[in-house]
Amino acid sequence: MATLPTNAQEAWRWTDLAALTSAAASPRGDAPAAESYWLGIPGPRIVFVDGVYALEHSTPGHVALSPLTLDTAHPLGAQASGAAGWSIDLSAAEIVDPVQIVHLATGAESHLPARLTLDEDAVAQVVETYVGTGWTNRLTQIDLERGARLMRSVRLLQSDGFVSIRDEAVVGEAASLITQFLGAGGMGSRIDAMLTLDGDSAFVDYGGALLTREQQRQECAVAVRHAALNGSSRQTWRAVAADRSQASLAARVEVARGAQKTDGEQSLRGLLLQRTATVNLKPELEIFADDVKCAHGATVGELDARALFYLRSRGVSEARAKALLTKAFVSDALDRIGDDTVREAFAADADTWLEASL
Amino acid sequence: MATKNAEALAAANKKYEWGFSSDIEQDFAPKGLSEDTVRYISAKKNEPEWMLDWRLKAFRLWQTMEAPDWSKLNIDPIDYQDAYYYAEPKAKPKLGSLDEVDPEILRVYEKLGIPIEEQKVLAGVEGSRKVAVDAVFDSVSVATTFRKELEAAGVIFRSISEAIREYPDLVRKWLGKVVPQRDNFFATLNCAVFSDGTFVYIPEGVRCPMELSTYFRINAENTGQFERTLIVADKGSYVSYLEGCTAPMRDENQLHAAVVELVALDDAEIKYSTVQNWYPGDENGKGGIYNFVTKRALCQGKNSKVSWTQVETGSAITWKYPSCVLAGENSVGEFYSVAVTNNRQQADTGTKMIHLGKRSRSTIVSKGISAGRSDNTYRGLVRVGPSAEGVRNFTQCDSLLLGDQCGAHTVPYIEVKNPSAQIEHEATTSKISEDQMFYAMQRGLDSEAAVALIVNGFAREVLQQLPMEFAVEAQKLLGISLEGSVG
Repeated sequence: MATLPTNAQEAWRWTDLAALTSAAASPRGDAPAAESYWLGIPGPRIVFVDGVYALEHSTPGHVALSPLTLDTAHPLGAQASGAAGWSIDLSAAEIVDPVQIVHLATGAESHLPARLTLDEDAVAQVVETYVGTGWTNRLTQIDLERGARLMRSVRLLQSDGFVSIRDEAVVGEAASLITQFLGAGGMGSRIDAMLTLDGDSAFVDYGGALLTREQQRQECAVAVRHAALNGSSRQTWRAVAADRSQASLAARVEVARGAQKTDGEQSLRGLLLQRTATVNLKPELEIFADDVKCAHGATVGELDARALFYLRSRGVSEARAKALLTKAFVSDALDRIGDDTVREAFAADADTWLEASL
Repeated sequence: MATKNAEALAAANKKYEWGFSSDIEQDFAPKGLSEDTVRYISAKKNEPEWMLDWRLKAFRLWQTMEAPDWSKLNIDPIDYQDAYYYAEPKAKPKLGSLDEVDPEILRVYEKLGIPIEEQKVLAGVEGSRKVAVDAVFDSVSVATTFRKELEAAGVIFRSISEAIREYPDLVRKWLGKVVPQRDNFFATLNCAVFSDGTFVYIPEGVRCPMELSTYFRINAENTGQFERTLIVADKGSYVSYLEGCTAPMRDENQLHAAVVELVALDDAEIKYSTVQNWYPGDENGKGGIYNFVTKRALCQGKNSKVSWTQVETGSAITWKYPSCVLAGENSVGEFYSVAVTNNRQQADTGTKMIHLGKRSRSTIVSKGISAGRSDNTYRGLVRVGPSAEGVRNFTQCDSLLLGDQCGAHTVPYIEVKNPSAQIEHEATTSKISEDQMFYAMQRGLDSEAAVALIVNGFAREVLQQLPMEFAVEAQKLLGISLEGSVG
């Protein structure tokens, strides 16, 4: 098995590797029930328990699953190489409702390599939910053919432990990859991605909201690589940190030589709820073409005192006003989820977190 | 557009206008780096025992360290044993005035167009602004002018070797305080082998009566230069310091690892301006200076202020992050930078603003201009400590790309541990548009003048921070570095 990186390495300086190792060493327990994590919508349902496909709990419908193993050079992803994984083909026209995937973790470590594929002009929605405890590591290779469209929403709700996600996507001509994350559990996390816009006019929207409290540390480390002409990408990340927690957002736009007419945008914003909390931001640009539009904005601060005052002058209690404003802050990212039911479910998870933290 | 770019790139491949070398007899330390080299340099400088010990400690530390690899620079491994660490022009003893300076050196100055004579004329004019020059020719301070007037004001302006002998207590108190010996690979190397540099002390309440200025030159083939600058501004004082560089053309890579330390006590202000135009190497990246500089300011006192302004147009490799540790309440740090890269040049430059004091503020304005096959990286850190209430930071880094073979990168780090902080960061990337060129050219400018005009406009926010003496030179440099580069 590949060795894990250390915090001395520049790309891993904010990662909570201690939480990862201690989660891996935790004992296995009972699996939580998947039932309470299904959204009340029809469609295929797939359950993985400790990285193993649980056929008896799944109703995959027209989703075609076949076994595979994957290889990657990435140190986190490489942990999953060799493990039994699944190729998940979402191309079937019959798949209309969102495909729900629930990862149940019972402790210790589990590694799952997976590949999501969409054929030409295929469209699919995926909702992923991570619950339980222990170290859950998922390597996902995403292959989008010409004109394909994948809308993915991922929520990290593990009560503790660590969730690491490594996405490696190749987005073809005029294809779109839209992924929004919500980190609202009690675990540590690292969302790590290398997304390549490989065909003309490809589109990537990749972002989310990370909510941290107590000693928790969550982070994203995402690189969007524009390798072809006319690509556009959006990265909208929001971090809310309470107590002694740390939320880190590192997002990079790479524009390869010759990837002219690229339009890349990043917006990273952090909100600190207590003075003991930490927010780290690193909006990075790496540009090798001259006819491009790339911009990023990054801010960190507390809630706007004037907005708070405004709400309180309208009779809203301080706690309520803070919750409202924080919710608005987080919704910058979550509102990018297209499906109403999914968006509302994610907003409800964020609300639960906010109620408990404010 | 493609043809325009091609023309532009061809025109940008012009020769280094100020490159040449002159032969002056030099004293060399033997090639290579060992304890003996360190002892040789220290002995050459007639240094006291504590200074030698300090150097040796740093040298032993350095041997255990590794060169940093996190920057976006592509450098062949440097053979530190294949360089000279000390070169001194055989100067006449005790120079009284500029007239006594080696005529060969004066000829070099003239060729470079350094306005020493002009400055003397300026100085002679009643009521005009004065500039004091501590000229460093290779590694040794050759002439110091205006010393008397500065002494009358109580300002100490010396080469650092003189200061070590004449003001040992003052130097010992501050040397290595801002950039400790074990700070980083290149700073530690500098601690061991620094050849010469400048020491400035501004006493309490004194506003330095003139701009202080040092011209650095690298002249001897194969000679690394290891400058050490230490500026201490005591309570309520003010000083503006200018540092300007041009270097003769050479084939061998030349290593430069300087350390600059600034200390600002209560209510003091230091303004540090740099124009750097060392030999960048030829169009294939051959030759050129390797510039690894550690510059850091400690805003120790309340209401203290340090402002870094830099115009970087030269060097094959630039690795430079002028930083401010804002420890004092209400202290202010500023960083204004223009970095131009052309041909095969690589620049990885930026700043660190470490906010520790309450209500400390910082402003970062960085303008990167890349042309040819060069790479230009802004790398910065804004850190807010948990007890630093009410911190404000504004960062803006803009990149301009000329041609489609160059790269522009932005790597800002923001680390905030206090919710009352307001941190804003903005970055944009653009090129010179056809509209802009068309507009400028239909008013009668040729393409080169149009590019110079647009680039100077792009960099205006930084250039206007420069003292008058430097502003003209800097504008000229930008134009020359990018001559003909039409976007």
